[in-house]
Amino acid sequence: MHDQLPSAARPKPAPGLFWNPYLQIFLVVLLTAVAQVLLKIGADFSPAHDSLWSWLGLTELGSWWTWLGILAFVTSFGGWLYALRFVPLGLAFALTNGVHIFVPIGSWLFLGEHIGLLRGSGILIIIAGILLLTQSVARVEEKV
Amino acid sequence: MSLTAWIVVIISQLALVAGQIFLKRAMSRREHGGKKARGWTGILAIGIVMMTVWFLLWLGLMPRIDLSKLMPFEGISPLLIVLGAAAFLHERLNWRGWAGVILTCCGVVLVSAS
Repeated sequence: MHDQLPSAARPKPAPGLFWNPYLQIFLVVLLTAVAQVLLKIGADFSPAHDSLWSWLGLTELGSWWTWLGILAFVTSFGGWLYALRFVPLGLAFALTNGVHIFVPIGSWLFLGEHIGLLRGSGILIIIAGILLLTQSVARVEEKV
Repeated sequence: MSLTAWIVVIISQLALVAGQIFLKRAMSRREHGGKKARGWTGILAIGIVMMTVWFLLWLGLMPRIDLSKLMPFEGISPLLIVLGAAAFLHERLNWRGWAGVILTCCGVVLVSAS
């Protein structure tokens, strides 16, 4: 939508590095990865049941880890809405795939999960894709 | 995968794409201010409802279908979003952007499949 606007009419983010929409996307990615790891820890700390509630994920709400994970998710959603004010949706959404880099790394560091060859290769391909996307962003910024 | 599972997967992906497009449209309207900003909260609410539908359908699919069959759809969602944004928001990507999206999709499928 913004791509059609003349550069002078494009919305401008607030001054300061923190309000850079691409930094916000990076924070969204980090917070989402943290949230996923916290939710997993919360699920592991929750008592195992075979009830309907456990299938709906409600027993996990008894753990503070789960609530910290939900807080991280909600905070990341705020950053996502802010970034959408300035960055094209397709580009922004593709950049959020960085979550798939940080979740395996976080799971390896904090949960002791293994990163195999297939997963490692996938992470490298995602990094290559994100590098191309950032180059694409740089080209767009140069034109503006 | 059964026919029902296919239908639910397709509806969930449509809800994800539509939800993100509504969120983007709401935030763009809000940014323009003035008359154009009118109704942005309603559009935002529709986006949030769509995202909730996607989340619940996705949660419902997880115990019923092998993750290896489900995760490729997670991988193609950025591609669907780019196509949806091109169709409904008139966004355009250069070749680097397209190559980046396709690479990240392949990477996500590999990470998820592992």
